[in-house]
Amino acid sequence: MAARTGLASLVLGTLAAAAAYASAFLPGDPPLWGALAMVLGIALMSVGSMALGAARAGRPLGRLGWALAASFAILVLGFGLALLLPRDAAGLWAGLPRRAALVLYGVGVLPAFFLPLAYALTFRERTLDAGDIERIRAARNGPVE
Amino acid sequence: MSVLSLLQVVPLAAPASPGVVVVGIGYAVIVAAIAVWAGRRTRTARDFFVAGEGIGVWTLAIAAMAATLSGFSFIGGPGLMYSLGLGAVLIILPASLTNTMTAWMLAKRMRLLGEVRGLITVPDAIGARYRSPLAQGLAGVAILVAIVGYMATNILALGLVVDALFGTGLTWGIWIGLAAVVAYSAAGGILAGVYTDLFQGGVMAAASLLVFGFAMRTGGGLGEISRTILAADPGFLEPWGRLTPLAALSFFFVFGMGALGQPHVVHKFYMLKDPLRLKWYPAIMTAAMMVTLLLYFGVGVAVKAEVVSGGLAPLARADDATPAFLLAYTPALLGGLVFAGVAAAIMSTVNSFLNVGAAVITHDLPVALGRKLPDELAWGRISTIAISLLAGVVAQVSGTLVAFLGIFGWGLFASTLVPALAIGLNWPGATRSGAIASIATGLVTTLGFESAAYFGVFTFPAGVTVSGLSLVLSLLVFFGVSWLTRREAGEIDADVKLVMET
Repeated sequence: MAARTGLASLVLGTLAAAAAYASAFLPGDPPLWGALAMVLGIALMSVGSMALGAARAGRPLGRLGWALAASFAILVLGFGLALLLPRDAAGLWAGLPRRAALVLYGVGVLPAFFLPLAYALTFRERTLDAGDIERIRAARNGPVE
Repeated sequence: MSVLSLLQVVPLAAPASPGVVVVGIGYAVIVAAIAVWAGRRTRTARDFFVAGEGIGVWTLAIAAMAATLSGFSFIGGPGLMYSLGLGAVLIILPASLTNTMTAWMLAKRMRLLGEVRGLITVPDAIGARYRSPLAQGLAGVAILVAIVGYMATNILALGLVVDALFGTGLTWGIWIGLAAVVAYSAAGGILAGVYTDLFQGGVMAAASLLVFGFAMRTGGGLGEISRTILAADPGFLEPWGRLTPLAALSFFFVFGMGALGQPHVVHKFYMLKDPLRLKWYPAIMTAAMMVTLLLYFGVGVAVKAEVVSGGLAPLARADDATPAFLLAYTPALLGGLVFAGVAAAIMSTVNSFLNVGAAVITHDLPVALGRKLPDELAWGRISTIAISLLAGVVAQVSGTLVAFLGIFGWGLFASTLVPALAIGLNWPGATRSGAIASIATGLVTTLGFESAAYFGVFTFPAGVTVSGLSLVLSLLVFFGVSWLTRREAGEIDADVKLVMET
């Protein structure tokens, strides 16, 4: 299920990125929907890649699903709000104008704190444990059951 | 925005002083000592190409960081920020995601393929996944083409740094810098490479952190820097800077998804001694990259603020941003450390390219042709020297063409390797035909579009990059052809299938 969702996200994300690039070839100024399509493409492809890579047969994503959902929300909201909110009138957020802060701190910094941690905390259950290594080493030395 | 502007092809402002030269010499001596140490330990082709599968996770992560970041992070990047505004930062922002993405998609599977099959190259993994020497050979050709162009650009940049440090002139700078990299790459292979990368990564991170501190102090903190810039040029701190939103987001897309197809980074997963240590790889790699990229952002905004407030004269060239800041606001020794950091960034990238390229010539192309070379270690050393000479000559004689060659290097890696390697190792439905078609599409579209754009046949509209478009097209071809040939989908060897299911 997780693998299928990840793959579907990748395909849809690729189509969204293709639509974004196609929008640039239309006459006139670049349309807003083109940039929004690229935001959707980036979010779907990034999170879809992680879901596909983390998926293991018969094991749901579990609490990892929350980390991936948070990543998707951060990408869509960070870039989306930066596109849709009006230019800042005044005031800075942690030293930057509000929309710039959403992109820099939201998209550029926030995932760096929780994604590597999510990977490490779920490593044994989702990625690799000693039993997996033994099975792989057995496959090296003979046919796989 | 062309990737052309990401490449360092103009002379640097030289901060030459005795202190800078001493730091430069000290850096070179340490690199030489590591190279001699590693050279004595390189006895087999596995030592030469995968460091004998004996490195730890800290070495893996720091070496991968050093190979990922070229001199662009220190010179071209801050310059790009100075000229384009905050939009240029979208090139580096994907670092918050890409290392964990790469770990989930590739780190475990590459390492386990090395365990089960004894693989040593990235095209090896493609060949094993699809049971296809043709796919392996085609991936090898794509990597080799990209490497020569990409290396030529980096070698030219290295020549500029050596010239800036020691006043050698560009020609001697190119060949002195190249000789240093080749000496340790040919003698110690990737074993020398990863341990020099570890040292070089440390130099890069220390230089970046210190310069970022000076940049913030110079401007009175980020808030004050922002207020200074907003008063004179509010567009600079728009989320997309002077770029269109689509152009800036396209940077994020290409440098985010494209990170899954960089062979000089992915190849390093084979080298890890204990696969269970991958647990902390994304955390270490992400932290190292974030620290090392602080200079990119800090110098970019600090120099802009100093220029608009009259503290610095407007820059003649954007690439002068870092040298101008170092000369005006930091001690000479820190300037030396930063230039050593630039040299380190370039040398670590070139060394990784040399090793990956030599592996293609020595291993992947013979395998694709149904042959195996008798002494891969000796041929690996010969190939290393041959590739470096070729790239050096290209850097020396081709003028602006060297930038053109570098343009498609990064994009070619992404469009040819992301679908077949990164997705293919995680999706059993990917087929041999889909992989071959996507690699061929990536090669043809990247080379074709870049050549057409370079020779002025046509220009893409703002926001469309050749590397982004080629990546999208190769992905669509990969999904489409795999679906059309889905009857082939079950043709995966049992041990490879086990790795994919683990």
